[in-house]
Amino acid sequence: MAKMIDALRIRLCLKRIETLQARKTFLENLLALQLNRIDMAKAKQERQCRQQTDISLAHTAIAAGEANGYVTAEHDRRLEQLKQRYLLRYRALRETYKRKLAKVLSERQAEIKEQRERAFQALERRKSTALAALEARFAPDADHLELRKTAYAELKAKAETDLALRLQGITARSDRAREKVSARMIKKIEGIERSLLAREQATAALKDKLPKSDYGIPEDVLLRIENLTMRFGGLVAVDDLSFDVKQGEIFGLIGPNGAGKTTVFNCITKFYRPAAGRMYFRKNPVEVIRLNDYPVHNIIRQGIVRTFQNVELVWELPVIDNLLVAAHTLFRTGFFGQLIHTRKLKQEEAVLRKKATDILAMLGLLPYAHMIPFGLPYGILKKIELARTLMVDPRMIILDEPAAGLNDAETRDLARIIRTIRDQNQTTIFLVEHDMGLVMDVCDTICAISFGKKLALGTPREIQADKAVRDAYLGEE
Amino acid sequence: MLKLRTLLREWGKNLNLIIKHPYFGFVVFGALLLVVLLLRMGGLVQIGVVNAVVLTMIYSIIALGFSLLLGFGGLASLGTAGLVGLGTFVMGYFSGILNWPLLPTLALAFGIAIVVGLIVGFISLRIEGMYLAIITLGLAEILRAFFISYDKFTGGFSGRSFRNFTIFNQPVSTEAVYVTITVVFVLAMIATINIIKSPTGRALLAMKNSDSAAQSLGISLMKYRLLAFIISTVFAVLGGILYIMYIKFSYAPQWNLAFSLEILAAVIVGGAQSIFGIILGVFLIYGLNLAVLNNIPFFVQNPALIVIFNGALIVLVVMFYPGGLIRLIQTSHFKLKLFLQKLKHRMKVRRYGEDD
Repeated sequence: MAKMIDALRIRLCLKRIETLQARKTFLENLLALQLNRIDMAKAKQERQCRQQTDISLAHTAIAAGEANGYVTAEHDRRLEQLKQRYLLRYRALRETYKRKLAKVLSERQAEIKEQRERAFQALERRKSTALAALEARFAPDADHLELRKTAYAELKAKAETDLALRLQGITARSDRAREKVSARMIKKIEGIERSLLAREQATAALKDKLPKSDYGIPEDVLLRIENLTMRFGGLVAVDDLSFDVKQGEIFGLIGPNGAGKTTVFNCITKFYRPAAGRMYFRKNPVEVIRLNDYPVHNIIRQGIVRTFQNVELVWELPVIDNLLVAAHTLFRTGFFGQLIHTRKLKQEEAVLRKKATDILAMLGLLPYAHMIPFGLPYGILKKIELARTLMVDPRMIILDEPAAGLNDAETRDLARIIRTIRDQNQTTIFLVEHDMGLVMDVCDTICAISFGKKLALGTPREIQADKAVRDAYLGEE
Repeated sequence: MLKLRTLLREWGKNLNLIIKHPYFGFVVFGALLLVVLLLRMGGLVQIGVVNAVVLTMIYSIIALGFSLLLGFGGLASLGTAGLVGLGTFVMGYFSGILNWPLLPTLALAFGIAIVVGLIVGFISLRIEGMYLAIITLGLAEILRAFFISYDKFTGGFSGRSFRNFTIFNQPVSTEAVYVTITVVFVLAMIATINIIKSPTGRALLAMKNSDSAAQSLGISLMKYRLLAFIISTVFAVLGGILYIMYIKFSYAPQWNLAFSLEILAAVIVGGAQSIFGIILGVFLIYGLNLAVLNNIPFFVQNPALIVIFNGALIVLVVMFYPGGLIRLIQTSHFKLKLFLQKLKHRMKVRRYGEDD
């Protein structure tokens, strides 16, 4: 009885630790986001402040012939405008004369051409006058230039001190805001860390008392399948299959068509209820769960995400929102919070959007972020599906034929991405694939099955040399 | 001068932010609808127009709930009418006849709505598509038969009028009801857009696209199907409550299949995934004949042609614009923009020659 209570307590503790950790990461991300926002606001204010100072000095600066950022920019802008205007007038004139020349008889052509030359010259003259007028507007006054210069210097010095003061004020304000935000967040984060520590100690203390509850699974095994059997009516799709997937490896499941590969996936992700057999998954370093006990929509919470053979996206939503759909389990706001769009929901959404953007950037999908996926190339869609799995920081990603329908270049790219994902987050990858090139290229371990039975398990080299596998693929000699 | 220009630019940016906010359109729309009331009080519009506006608002609320179910959840239901009828009779009987205070009446009505939503939601876990529609239709028909046979409560075949509504012990005037309906309407639109733009809305869309993909992403079918049905039943009952407060008369046989089908038609004609599209659809189905066609002598002489007109409209829209009329407006807006750009370019080439 006491043991059962202890087991229950440990489970509650672990669950609480999980939520606390999720909350901690959320707060840390939120803090980074808010600090970034404050910095951006500060930069904008500073820019505006500088511009205002420049504007206030503009007239004096022109009169004194001194350089001023705003004046130079304005001068360049107007010059550009003027040039553009005269270019258009020139083109209009040219067009008019082209039409006239097309209409008139050949003997009058010379006359018209002369007229055109005159018109062009007139236009040129007008342009140079206008340019001169512009330059005159921005030219310094000739009389009392020295006086003006000193006056400008005085004004400028005053404005600069003013500006410095204002900039100081802006910096101080933004620093205060930064401090306030960080203090609040850090206080919260520290509170969470304290309770995390307490829970971890409690779990550790309890764990010594309990018998080992990891079903005798070695430390480095992430997923263990034992005697898995699946029947559809009389057909045995998977027959007494057992294998281990180790932590951090890329595991490939291969076999001829109809060998039952996808059925294995569907059993692991609980789309099918296996007829017999046990599936164990190491949820975190200390906890092993039996996947048989979890409903299909809870598998993702345990750290297993899958993709589908034929791409299954939400076609009405932009790509980035598709990634947010995958982050569904990370939202903690309840329905009524969503109904009135509370601040918490907005913060969560901002944090997750940032995360989605980062993932899209990593996979080179950023240009597609705000597009509707409908009609995008198949390779891109496959990548979007892969990006979607990364949203929840899974421990294991299950890829169902990731290279199906891709060309060679896309397949090579995919292999690179799969390796990157594994190396960056220590995510285990479990894939089913027909493309032998890809499988032999990326996989660390391969399991070959045929008619639901295991043929061989080993490194790519061993599998290539295996006689049973060759027979299954090429037919018996 | 320079300062003023910079200031104006800043203002423009802020104004742009306000205009781009999703609630802005809804609030402005609500304000415009209140203007209709002012015009009526000034005697500038006929009562028919006001009735058309009110009915459009009420039915739009019902259609909004329905569109969350159909347009987002992909679940078909034909039971809307029964729930609207339920709302009218519960509100009418308990508030209008028994003089219960407002809040307990609302609690009762919404409680019943939630229970019905739960029942239908559980059924929807087992049965999908057309069969689900038939079952909800059956439920609505049961409700209708119940209304007709319990004439003590509903007036049976002759209908029953409920006149003495009080809100917080104050008798309510028609104007107050109009304002209430407008406010509830705007709030319903805001609630709908909030649901659509939140994880719930995305979960519903994911469910509509593929059950299995949704489940693999951690979306529980049971939770979201139940939720979708509860939202839609609550909106339907809310519509019924507002209906009885304005019309003050409910006639049991009115809440039949035709009513549910008209809501369905409105949502499809307007565009099931756009809030203004749904309102447009409801206006075309219900408001148009009350506000416009009834004033055209030709249609007044041949009232059957109004129904034919509506039918033809539905057929045309479904044939040529499966995304709804709002899609037509959106695409034509886009096309117009494109056309204007092209026109501008051609004018430029004509005047200045080809770019060199």
